[in-house]
Amino acid sequence: MVQDISGGAAAGFSGTYRIAGRLIGVSSLFGTVHAYCRDYAAEGIPDFTVTVTPEDIIREKEKTDAEYRREGLPPPSFPADLLETTAVYRRIAERMPDYGTVVFHGSAIAADGRGYLFTAKSGTGKSTHTRLWRSMLGDRAVMINDDKPMLRITEHAVNVCGTPYTGKHRLGCNLTVPLQALCLLTRGETNCIERITKQQAYPMLLQQVYRPQDPRMLQKTLRLIDLLAGQTALYRLACNTDPAAAEIAYAAMKG
Amino acid sequence: MKLKRSFLVHQDGEQKLLVPTGEAGFSGLVRCNASAGLIVSCLEHETTEAEILARMTAEWDIPAETAKRDLERILGELRQIGAIDE
Repeated sequence: MVQDISGGAAAGFSGTYRIAGRLIGVSSLFGTVHAYCRDYAAEGIPDFTVTVTPEDIIREKEKTDAEYRREGLPPPSFPADLLETTAVYRRIAERMPDYGTVVFHGSAIAADGRGYLFTAKSGTGKSTHTRLWRSMLGDRAVMINDDKPMLRITEHAVNVCGTPYTGKHRLGCNLTVPLQALCLLTRGETNCIERITKQQAYPMLLQQVYRPQDPRMLQKTLRLIDLLAGQTALYRLACNTDPAAAEIAYAAMKG
Repeated sequence: MKLKRSFLVHQDGEQKLLVPTGEAGFSGLVRCNASAGLIVSCLEHETTEAEILARMTAEWDIPAETAKRDLERILGELRQIGAIDE
């Protein structure tokens, strides 16, 4: 990370990071985002650069407040540097479909080198469930990203990638593995997993993928989701918090 | 009248979907049945209610009144989610 005090504009910070195989330049007003991304620091000419302005931080506050209101929660009071870290990820997420990559809301865990992605609305229990996997599998399991991993999607393969944005418990690492399966998670009295079709999964896939503001990028995102759904084993799991939930899910999803 | 740029029409097999961008202010997903699918297709370009009605009655053998009622209901729902640029 480099602090720039020489320019005519406000003093800022810059750094370059390799995330999901792309080199990304970040030019920011605060240093916080660079501390956040330090495990992904890299050298080289960026594929693209995100430059944050004060207006971006204002817009991020408005978006965050609106998202909280939609969930029925009071607007949070995040400081400007924290809003900036989110604004940076949003800007990165907007560009990544150009590189066959999407940001996806879910808890991603690697077991024996294969990735398993659990998705659901916030508060349903994704992190709780992947914690059960870690208890069950010990060293064989490692968290890729507990909040917003990236999925790099081609016609032949889907990889799930760690990112610096690992959620409130900061669970995750700089790891990329092939995606073995994707599971829609709901709460249930008893544990039950079933294979589902793309059509059954589609509404949730579209809700949980980052949807760009630019219609052209949304179009690319939709094509990538089509590719993802066409080649990935999709499941729906109703589960409770018993360790058996992880056993049942793993047995079904490992193939 | 046409669909706003912030609502994309996406073909999912035989079914049309209406998918909002992150900026649309609506976070759901609209699955279109056959009549909604035809109406949404028309709205991808600048059009009028009269033109859409003409397409509907040409496509299906239905009375004009039925088509008009269906159209008004679907346009109402699309307006409610902010999908129409008048």
